[in-house]
Parts: sequence; structure tokens; C-alpha cells
Amino acid sequence: MLLKSSFTPIFLVQTPKSKAQKLHHAFTKTFFTNSTPPVRHNASLNVATPPPASSAYIHLPFCRKRCHYCDFPIVALGSASTQTHHDPRVSNYIDWLCREITATKVDQPASTTPLQTVYFGGGTPSLVPPAMVSSVLESLRVKFGLCKDAEISMEMDPGTFGAEKMRKMIALGVNRVSLGVQAFQEELLRACGRAHGVQEVHEAISVVKSCGVENWSIDLIASLPHQSCEMWEESLRLTIESQPSHVSVYDLQIEQGTKFGRFYFLLHCRQQGFKLQLQLPLCNDLLYCEKLRTDTLYKLPFLTVSRIAMKLSLQFETLISDLAEYSPGEFPMPSETQSAEFYKMASRMLTDANYNHYEISSYCKSGYECKHNFIYWKNEPFYAFGLGSASFVGGLRYSRPRKVNDYINFVQNLENGLVDSSGDGNINAKDMAMDVVMLSLRTAQGLDLKSFQESFGSSVVLSLLEAYKPYVESGLVVCMDEHRRTIMDDLNYSFLYKTNTEKRVAYIRLSDPEGFLLSNELIALAFGVIDSWKACPQYQEAKAT
Amino acid sequence: MGYLSKASKTLRQSNYLALLCNFNFYFNPLTSRITNERFPVRRELFCSQSRQYSTTTREKSTIDLRQYPPELVRNFSIIAHVDHGKSTLADRLLELTGTIKKGHGQPQYLDKLQVERERGITVKAQTATMFYKHSVNGDDFSDGKESPSFLLNLIDTPGHVDFSYEVSRSLAACQGVLLVVDAAQGVQAQTVANFYLAFESNLTIVPVINKIDQPTADPDRVKAQLKSMFDLDPNDALLTSAKTGEGLEQILPAVIERIPAPPGRRESSLRMLLLDSYYDEYKGVICHVAVVDGVLSKGDKISSAATGQSYEALDVGIMHPELTPTGILLTGQVGYVVSGMRTTKEARVGDTIYHTRTSVETLPGFKPAKHMVFSGLYPADGSDFEALNHAIERLTCNDASVSITKETSTALGLGFRCGFLGLLHMDVFHQRLEQEYGANVISTVPTVPYTFEFSDGSKVEVQNPASLPSNPKQKVTACWEPTVIATIIIPSEYVGPVITLVSERRGQQLEYSFIDSQRVFMKYRLPLREIVVDFYNELKSITSGYASFDYEDSDYQQADLVKLDILLNGQPVDAMATIVHNTKAYRVGRELTEKLKTVIDRQMFEIIIQAAIGSKIIARETISAMRKNVLAKCYGGDVTRKRKLLEKQKEGKKRMKRVGSVDIPQEAFHQLLKVS
Repeated sequence: MLLKSSFTPIFLVQTPKSKAQKLHHAFTKTFFTNSTPPVRHNASLNVATPPPASSAYIHLPFCRKRCHYCDFPIVALGSASTQTHHDPRVSNYIDWLCREITATKVDQPASTTPLQTVYFGGGTPSLVPPAMVSSVLESLRVKFGLCKDAEISMEMDPGTFGAEKMRKMIALGVNRVSLGVQAFQEELLRACGRAHGVQEVHEAISVVKSCGVENWSIDLIASLPHQSCEMWEESLRLTIESQPSHVSVYDLQIEQGTKFGRFYFLLHCRQQGFKLQLQLPLCNDLLYCEKLRTDTLYKLPFLTVSRIAMKLSLQFETLISDLAEYSPGEFPMPSETQSAEFYKMASRMLTDANYNHYEISSYCKSGYECKHNFIYWKNEPFYAFGLGSASFVGGLRYSRPRKVNDYINFVQNLENGLVDSSGDGNINAKDMAMDVVMLSLRTAQGLDLKSFQESFGSSVVLSLLEAYKPYVESGLVVCMDEHRRTIMDDLNYSFLYKTNTEKRVAYIRLSDPEGFLLSNELIALAFGVIDSWKACPQYQEAKAT
Repeated sequence: MGYLSKASKTLRQSNYLALLCNFNFYFNPLTSRITNERFPVRRELFCSQSRQYSTTTREKSTIDLRQYPPELVRNFSIIAHVDHGKSTLADRLLELTGTIKKGHGQPQYLDKLQVERERGITVKAQTATMFYKHSVNGDDFSDGKESPSFLLNLIDTPGHVDFSYEVSRSLAACQGVLLVVDAAQGVQAQTVANFYLAFESNLTIVPVINKIDQPTADPDRVKAQLKSMFDLDPNDALLTSAKTGEGLEQILPAVIERIPAPPGRRESSLRMLLLDSYYDEYKGVICHVAVVDGVLSKGDKISSAATGQSYEALDVGIMHPELTPTGILLTGQVGYVVSGMRTTKEARVGDTIYHTRTSVETLPGFKPAKHMVFSGLYPADGSDFEALNHAIERLTCNDASVSITKETSTALGLGFRCGFLGLLHMDVFHQRLEQEYGANVISTVPTVPYTFEFSDGSKVEVQNPASLPSNPKQKVTACWEPTVIATIIIPSEYVGPVITLVSERRGQQLEYSFIDSQRVFMKYRLPLREIVVDFYNELKSITSGYASFDYEDSDYQQADLVKLDILLNGQPVDAMATIVHNTKAYRVGRELTEKLKTVIDRQMFEIIIQAAIGSKIIARETISAMRKNVLAKCYGGDVTRKRKLLEKQKEGKKRMKRVGSVDIPQEAFHQLLKVS
């Protein structure tokens, strides 16, 4: 009996209950036409008009130089350029950006709302002259409208702005600053190729505070090469002392194609005993390596470049995980254990200082959540403009070209109506379910089981809970009731989901910090459930007939 | 899997895999040393079935086999240690008799092979018929009469002989052999094994010392070895170089003069020995037969003694070297019959075939094929069972010597338990599955068939360790394991390490003697299980490659055997269970758990790997829980990228096999094969 109920075709649960139509988020505002017989199991869901997009991400790609860990689409202007008024690369780009904004279709013109959040990301948006930022905002206002109290965030890097520029930005409407501090140690900043030092960090913090920005964030990177526990503790302490309303704690991710990527690759080659034949670009990297840790590198053997290229493209991920796994200590990269410690330390210290750990890498004082980022996590639509940016309009996730020339082509095509960055509103059910799970489990609010069930059926919720059962027991996954209170009653988990899901377990979230730390594993597990979910109702039906 | 993996490497390099595969179970594991240049030769000799479909441009005058009474027929084969030049010699003989054209044939044959491979036609022919004019001493043909033409059947004895079963079947149709020995290397293990097989079959042995053109050739030493080992008269040995052609002219006269004509009476009722069979997509089953008595004509009704089934001889002919219809086969001759059998399973090798409605005494036949190595085959992706099933069915059509039964494993799902004649056979089978049918398989650790006797007197043959209960209700009172008699020939300086190795493998010395001043000949009884995995590799490595090794099946011996279970977080993994000798259980248990520790990834919980005998834990390893796997990078709104990373992770999980909550990568099963 039990099996049978759990295999009930998902669309059968779509009884015309009025309660079921009250849905919270975009993903929940899906419906299934009642006239459709329950055969349409694996057809894509019809998303009935999600709310129109009211958020915009603006990519301002300019940096003085590229940081060693960075694989974002950026344009490096050169270390000296803090004055960018007259740089044609910047002004031309801003022109194209404004043209893109103007040429973009308004999402659901009938019910459109003015923009409620705008986020200037980069790159280093604070390098762009305020006048140009102003023209971007003006384009947005003309095209989409801009709420009076819209959250307008800007990523700013120490050393790229002073009080005057800050005040100009505020005057334009920028009311949230995300300060790219990354670390409070000179040697770490240098080691990861930042264009600023600790002095600039302190100056920037005082500028932001003195200019009266109330909603601001310090961004930090954990697990940098050579970062010690003491350094990390110091960074967290100094951050807390600066009293920002928000802290983002990111993890260093070694990406292919970055300087760090090449660096680790070379070390790996050496470890594997490959012979290295030094070519010029590699020499540069090696010089850099030597700066990091001379003793490991002065005797690098020889390897042909084609071999390196081959290795780089084929096995990069393996190599990085191998490094972490097999040679802790030999490389300046913190071990998995140490890295996990860093994460826990951040969680503990920031929570103790009254910051809420409201998303895997985000902390804030009460009420200072980043509204723009929440749009992402709630799977709601948003516009995006500029080089390499990704938008989500009309159910379509659209990524713009990452190279300037390609981007210009794209804008021209957009103007000529040859491309459309928004979708027709149709989303594949499975894709959407995966996005919802992936994004919501990153937050402390967790996954809303009720609306998830209303959108995707009860069988998938039941299988998901079943799959998570061992992790609820081991404390990685937390069940919460209607009021987001943790359900401590772990005695009868099976009872909770088998008969009483709606009443008892209303939300599930990943625990902080252990569950968050293993979020990839747990989310991938949920993906597996969703992946096999569609087959179940069909299977049941085939058996019945 | 020492020599196997080595052998398979050779296979992979080979462009002629399809060809090779059909041969391989005639090869000894030792054939891992076969190199590519050997194949062209084989090709000419044996790969020619497909030619029957080619435009038969060079239509020969019909061969009238009636002109060849048994007195003018000689059936012989060439036996040798691997690389001693058997194939080249065979090739030269075919050229010498005009059976294949020197220089001409080669490229053509290459093309044929391509076609063969595409059609998936089996290339298993083993016999080539040659015609050779020769005047026997004493006969008077000088007065203007031509010398009589002899019909010579060169019957391929498969390289050595993984399995005595396979060799005996080739030798059964012969009255004599050419024993080829490399003039520089001298007598090797396979030479010995081959000699005894021929000797025990009462065959005439013509020693041929080959490769005398080599600078290091020492024919006198080899002659001395032949004398001391086999009591062969040094004066009988023929000195040749198949490469330069030197001495070749003596060979066929020696064959005709020394090897007796086949016995048998033409006037008796037909009796044929079924030597081999293979499946041809167009003609159906093609049987190779040796006519012992009587005459077979096209259109005859024939019956199988084994199955009682009747057939019609639709086509009858000889391999010359391609299938050449003659319409008739007479006493003493060797040829083929197409009889409308649908599967090779109907064609039981060693069967007696006779004219329907006559009664004959059945021929002794052969020992039935003994499956000595068993392993489980599972689809790597559990949902591919049907595809694997299909592939196995197709493949066994051409290789009836594999035994297949379905089995289920909790870890691996639905699969098959397959019995093989030997390790190389198993390896080739796997490889054909993968390469010809694209099946991605997981193979469990090969095991040998053990016999267990319980306190209630019942006996069970165990082909799958998992089928033996870990805590049986009935006490095990005795167990038996199969053994082999191994022949090892080594330079004397390696005696010490080799004896150490063999005694580690529970070997029991049967014989120890010097072939000459530098070389030692040893015979050991070894448990088959001990050589299944990496024995040959070990042997090679401790003797710098100088050891030659061969083995033949022997009796079962009583042994102290235990079932070794592998447990993951307390759950036994049936596909990893093994049966080992009690004295080795601790070491193997430790090796297995250590190996598993390196191949199983960390998971969100601690994983305890245990090896256990019954309820007693003998080895334990722990994989600590994963600490951190999180994407805490600033990806902004780039949800797609994030998702791709996670989906990749999900796909990785999907490919894993699961026991309890522990995910086991496929790699783990492959790795276990490497632990002895």
C-alpha cells in the first residue's frame, strides 16, 4: 500500500484544492490544466506567467589587473589606471551596455513593475566613472523604471575609490556596497594578485563608513594558499570590528585557465615526475611559483608544452582533487580538513557577532540580506546586461558572450532582432525542480516542501525525504515545521513524511556548518532523486494497465 | 592478472583482433609474447573462409580426392614453444606446395581480413590441405612415370595449449608432428608440454631445429637437449631456417617418409571425428572433420552420435587453404562439412558423425571441455542488462566453449556467471564483448571451481564464492581445489627465487633436473588458484624474463579453504567475496581492504571496510567522512554553471554501485582483480 501511494502519478495530486493554488514563489506559480489527463507525466510544465523580472545585474568588467584566482570575464586595464574617464575601452563598453539595455525586451510588458534591485558586479565596478554609471542607471530607468527604494548594490575594490567618488555614487542612488577586501594580510593579498594592499583596505572601509553607507558588505576569501588559521581568524576579527552589515565568505576555487590553475598544474606535473620544458609563458608562472614557495620549485623537471596543454584540458579537475587528497602539506593549498575548519570558524565567529548565516557564503545583520541575491536563490527572474552576464527571463537562462567583440556582435544582433535573450515561459519540469532544490538548499530558509510538492508532486518529495533520511539522522539535514522551527523529534522520521508531510515537515534545510559544508554532495543526491523521479509515475501506470 | 593484462595489451595493439580472438583460446597465456609480425602469417594460413564468397577468379581444376587413398595422405601438425617459428614454417610449407602464392597473396589476404572483420565471420580454420609430389625411396617411378602426388593436411595445433582438451583434439587427427625448436633458445616449457602430448598420443615426432641462421644458434646443444630430455635421436633432427629457406626442402619428404599414413578402411561405414566448428553468418555452422573410416559425399544423410540429430551434408570440401568444395571426403582425409546446423552448440567437438541409419562404434572423442576459471560479468550500467545479454548470446554463437548462467548480485544487479577454459580465454571474451559489442562490463575476481563437502555428506561445486554461505548450517568437513602440473624451465641462477615463489604459491615439487649445464627443468603441482592471478608476471619479473612456463590441468587436492567476505559498513559485498587458502586469508584480507581504501571515495559518513571469515573480522580499514564539498564561490546569477558542476557530481554517483549506503566506483572492482 505504501509503495502504491508513493508512486501515485504526480499529476493526480493536483486536485482542484483552492489551497493548492496559493503559491509563494515563481517556481510555485506553475499550474497544470485540469483538463489534461494524468498522462502528461514527463511533458514540460507550463509556467503560467511567473512574476515579471524586477531585478537587473550589470556587469562592469574592468579591473586594473587580473587576480590569480579569477576566471570571470574581465578586461584588465593596467595597474596604473584608476582614472578611467578617458579610457575609450570603458566609454565604448558603457555605450554598448546601454544599447543592450535599450534593445532588451521588457519582460511581460502588461504587468511590468519597475526594477527593485540593481547590482553592479564585475570586474571592478568602482573603476567606472560615476558619470558612466549614471548613464547606465538612466538607461535602466528609461527602459524598465526604477523603484524609489530600489536596492542598488555595487562591488567596490579598495584602492579604486575615495570619498569623493563614493559620495558621487551615493548621489546616483547606490545604496549598498560590497567591498572586495578578500584578506587582511599583505602577503596573502600579494599572493593572490590583488591590486591593493592592507592599507587601502582600511582606507576603503573608513571611506564607506564615513560616507554613511549603512548597508555594506565585506567580502573575504578563505583557503588561500599559505593562509593559516591565525590569519583567517585575524581577517574575521578585523571584519567584525569594522561592523559591516553584511559579510560574504567565499572559498578559493582553483579554476582552469587561471594563474593558480597553471601553478597547481605545474606542481602536479613535478610531483608526477613529468619533465618540464620551460617555455616563456610558463617561465613567468614559474617565477611566480617560486615567489610563493621557492623550495618546492627550484628543481622543476622538464615537460613539453603540448603535453601540458593536453593535461590541462583533460584532467584539470582530477588534478586539483588529487592534489588536495594525496599531498596535503606539500602544497601551499590548505587541506580539506583545514579548509573545513576555516568555514566553521567563519560560521562560529560571525554568528557569535550577531550575523545570521542566511546563505552558504553570506552573513548579515538582521534585515540586511542582499535582496538582489535573494532573487537568485528564490529562482525568480532577473535581467542581466554586459559581458558574460547570465539572465533568467521568461524561463530562459541566457549567458552573454565572454569576449568583448562577441559581446558587441551580440548587442548588434539583439538590436536587429536576431537574438532574444528571454524565453517563451516554458521550463522543463525537471530542470526547474533541480534549480529550486539547488538554490533553496543554499539558504537557511531551506526548501519549502509544500510549494515544492504543489509544483512537482508528492512522490518526488517523498523520495527526496527518503534519500535524505540518513542525513537527517546524522544531522546534516534539518527538518523544520511551518514556523521554521527545527523539529527535534527524530524518533519517527518515517512517520513524519509518510503520513503527515504537509502538517509536520514544512521545510528542510542543510545544517550550519556541517550540512552547508557538504552541500554539493547533498544537492547532487537530490538531483539523483529528481532525475529518476519522472520514471516512477509512468512505471506505475504501465504496470496498472 | 599479470600475464593477462599483458596479453590483452598485445591484443589491443593488434589490428587483427577479430582474428586473434578466435584463436586465442588455443593460445597459452604465454602467447602474450606474440608480436604483430606473427599475424600476417596466420592470416594466410587460417583466415580464408571468406574467400569462398569472393569472386573465385582463379578457378582451379576440380580436385579429385579419390586419387588419394590413405597411403597417399599424411596428417601432421607443427608444435613449438611460442616464437620458435612455427607459423613462419607453416607459411613456408604452404608456399612451397603452391597452396598460397609467395609475395602475391599477402596484400590480398589483408583485404580479406578487413571484410572478415566487418562481417564478424569467425576465423578459426585450423587445417590446410597441400598437394606435394614426391617419390618415396624404393618405389620405382623412374621409368617416365610421374612421382605420385601426396595429400598433406597441416593441422594447426594451437600454439601451445591452454588446455589439453584443445590440443588433444588437434592431435587426434594427426599421425605425426613437427616439433620445432629454436636453435638458440633450445627446449622451453611449451616444447616439453607439446612433446609429451604428442608422445602420449603415439604420434611420430620429427624434430626440427629452426632459426639456424641466427648468430647465437647452437644446433648441437639443442640436439643434446632433445636427446637428454626426450630421447630423440640427434641424427633425426632437421636443421632449417624458415626465414632464409635453408633446409626447408627436407621437411615434406621427411613428413611423407617418417609419418605413417592414416589408418582406417575406406570400405567400412562412415565415421568422422568432429574436430571443430564455427559459425558463419551465411552458411551456418561449418564443421571441421577428419574422416576415420568410409566415404562422405555431398548430399549424404549424416547423424551425430552425441545428439542423435540428422543432417544433410550440403557442402563437403577441403581447406586449400580456403574452403574448396570437393563433393567428397575419403578415409584419412580432413576437411569441412556444411550440414545446416543452426548453432555451434549442436556441433559437439569430439563427436562421431556417421551415415544415418548405419550403426557404428563411436570414436573415443575427447575429454569434455572443463571450465577452469569462473567470473561474474555484469553490465557496468545496471540498465544495460538486456544489451549485455544480447552481446553474450551473439558471442557464444561463435564460442560455444563458454558456459553461461544468469546470476544476481546485490551490489551489481543482474549478470552472468561465466565459465572459461582458461584465463586468456576469459580475457579475450571480455575484450570481444567490449570491442565488438560495445558492452561495458564489470568482471568479478576470477575464481576456480572448488568442491566443498558438508557434515551431512553433501558435496557442492562452488563456482561463485558468494554462493557459499558465510556461516553455513552444516559444517564444512572437507574442501578440494583444482591443481595444475606446471613446467618451468629457467637458467640455473634463478633457481633460488623461483623456488621461493613457487613455495609461496603452495607448490609441490615433482621433478627437478638439468636440461644442460645452464638450464633447469622443474615440475610442480600448483593449486590453480595460485596461478590464476599474477603468477606468470611474477615469475617473469624475478627471472628477468628468462623463465618459460606452462601448465596442464591435474587432479583436485584437498585444501584448507575459507570464504573471505568483504564488508562495507557491516554489509557484505557479495561480488567481492573470495575463497582463499586459510594460511593466506589474513594477507589477502589485508591487501583487499587496503586496496579498497584507496579506490573508494570519501563519503558523507565514515566507511568501515572489513575482511571477514565467517563472523571473524581479520582486517579493517576506515575511510573517514568527507569534510567539505561546497561551492562557495561568487557565481552571481550564473546558476547554469553551478548546476552543471552539481549534475556532473550526480552523474558520477549514478555510475557507482551501491551496497547499503556506500557508493562503490566501478574502478574498485577492476582494482580487486589485481590483488592475488
